[in-house]
Amino acid sequence: MKEKINKNYKIFLTTLLAIFFIKIHSNCFASSVVSGISNNKIDIDSNFKGTEILLFGAKGDAGDIIIAVRGPKKNFLVTHKEKTIGVWHNGTRIKIEDLYSYYALFSTFNNIDETNQMLENLELGRNNLIFKSSLTDKTLNNPKNKILEEEFYNSLVENLEQNHLYLVDANKIDFLDETLFKAMLQFPKNIPQGTYAVEIYLIRDDNLLSFQSIPIYVNQIGINAEISNFCYQQPLLYALFAIIIALLFGWLANILFIKFFGK
Amino acid sequence: MNIYLPIAEMSVNIPLIMLLGLFTGILAGLFGIGGGFIATPLLMFIGIPPAIAVSTSANQIISSSVSGVLAHLKKGNVDIKMGGFLVLGGFIGSTIGVSIFTILQQKGKLDIVISILYILVLGSISIIMLIDNFKSICEKKYNLTFGKKSNLRFKKFLVKIEKLPLKIYFPKSQISASIIILLILSSGIGIMVILMGVGGGFIMIPAMIYILRMPPHLVIGTSLFQIIFIAVNATFLQAATNNTIDIVLSILMISSSAVGAQIGARIGYKVDADKLRSGLALIIFLVCLKIFFTLLISPEKLFIIENLH
Repeated sequence: MKEKINKNYKIFLTTLLAIFFIKIHSNCFASSVVSGISNNKIDIDSNFKGTEILLFGAKGDAGDIIIAVRGPKKNFLVTHKEKTIGVWHNGTRIKIEDLYSYYALFSTFNNIDETNQMLENLELGRNNLIFKSSLTDKTLNNPKNKILEEEFYNSLVENLEQNHLYLVDANKIDFLDETLFKAMLQFPKNIPQGTYAVEIYLIRDDNLLSFQSIPIYVNQIGINAEISNFCYQQPLLYALFAIIIALLFGWLANILFIKFFGK
Repeated sequence: MNIYLPIAEMSVNIPLIMLLGLFTGILAGLFGIGGGFIATPLLMFIGIPPAIAVSTSANQIISSSVSGVLAHLKKGNVDIKMGGFLVLGGFIGSTIGVSIFTILQQKGKLDIVISILYILVLGSISIIMLIDNFKSICEKKYNLTFGKKSNLRFKKFLVKIEKLPLKIYFPKSQISASIIILLILSSGIGIMVILMGVGGGFIMIPAMIYILRMPPHLVIGTSLFQIIFIAVNATFLQAATNNTIDIVLSILMISSSAVGAQIGARIGYKVDADKLRSGLALIIFLVCLKIFFTLLISPEKLFIIENLH
C-alpha cells in the first residue's frame, strides 16, 4: 500500500513538472502536440499483476486527439468449430500473422468514424489494423473468403478484448483545461514482452496536424528473465533440469513420508 | 498469492495450482494412472496456453509416478522386469505413433479421429471392467456364482496368446508371457498415447489385468513404473523442441503431486483391489462420457484462439 502511495506521488510530481514544462513551451509549438509518460519501462517480476502508466500532454492548437498504444506484432492461429452429421470438430483454420498483440485507443472524438480514409491509413481503429492471413491473395478475391477472413479476425479481436489486451472502447482522455490533457494507459497482467509504441495524433478536419511517438519497453526481470533465457537458449539443458527436478521431488516426498508417517 | 509464469507469460494463483497438483498426485498413487487427463484441461481452463498445459503436465507426471512407484516398491508391489519390457514396447509404439500423428494432421480432422477412438476404446474397457468388478464383488458378498459363458471367446483368445513362442518367465508376477504379445501390446498402447495425448495408464492397467493376467497388487506400481519413462521422454521432447515447459508452473505442480502420490498410495494399501478397479473403471467411464458429450453439445466458443511463436 505504502509503495502504491509512493508511486502515485511520484506520478503526480512528474505530471506537475511536465505540465509546467509543457505550459512554458506550448506556445512555441503552434499547431502541435507535446506529451510525455510517467514511465517508459515495464518490468515483469514474479509479483507482476499489471500496471498503469500516466500519459500527459498539451496541444497548441484546436483539434481532436487520438492516442494509440501498439504492442509487438505476433502470430495467431484461429480454428473454427464446425458441425458435421451432428458431431462437433475442428474445422477451418486461418493463421493471422503480424497483428499487434496489444492495442489501446483513446480519443477525444465522441464517435470515431473508422471508415475515415485518414484513420484507415494510420491504422487507427479496431477494423483498420493491418495483418497478414494464411489465405492467399488469390483465394481472397473470392468474396466468400473475404467474409470468412473478417469473421476469423473479429473473433480473434474479441478474444483479445476479453483478455484486456485490446482496449478500444470507452477510453477517455481527460482535459485539465483547454490545452492540457492526460490519459491513464492500462497494462494487464498478461501483456506480452517487447517494445510498445505510444502514438499521439492531433487531427483537425481530416488533416494530421501533429504526431509524436514514445516507446515503452516491456521486459521480464530478475529470476523470470533468467528462466526465460535458459528455456529458449539452452533447451536441452533446460529439459534435463525439468526432468531432474521432477525426479528429485518424487524421491524427496517418499523420504519425507517414510520419516514422518512410517511405511 | 499469485506468481508470474515466465514461459506462459501470465500470473496464476499458487494455492489453486498446488491443489490441482495434489489431486492429480492422489489419483496417480491410488490408481496408477498419470493424471494428465485431468490436469491438462484444468490448466487450460485457467488460461494456460494449451501447448504449455500439455507439456507441463507431462513434467509433473514424472514426479507423481516416481513418488508413487517408490511408495509401492516398499511394499514389493512393482514388477520391474515386466515394466522394462513394457517401456521398450512403449518407445517403439510412440515412434510409430508420431509418424501416424503427422499423417493424420496433414489430412486434418485429427481431433475427430482421436475422439472417436477414445470413446470406443475407453468406453468398452470401462464397461467391461465395471461389469466384471460388479460380478466379483457380488460373488464375494453373497457367495453367488455367475456363469462364465460370455467369456468363452475371450478365453479362447487368451489360450491363443499363451501358445505364442519366445516365452519369458516373470518371477515377481509368477506368470510367463511371450515377448511378442508384450511388445505388440505395449507398442499399441504407445501409439494410442501419442495419438490421444493422454491415457497411457487408462489402457495399460486393464491390459495388465485382463490380457497379461498379472496379480492385481502389482498392477498399479508396475503401471506407474512404465509411466515414468513415457513422461520423461515426453518432457524431454517438448522442452527441447517446442520450449513449452514452464518450470515455475512445473515446480508448483511437481511438489504438490509428489505429496499427493504418497497419500494416494497409502489410501490404496487400505482399499481392496476390486473396489480400486471399480473406481478406476468409473473414472475412465466418466472421461469417456465427457468426450462423448463434447462431440455432441454446441461448444461455448465457436472459435479457438492459439498464440504462435
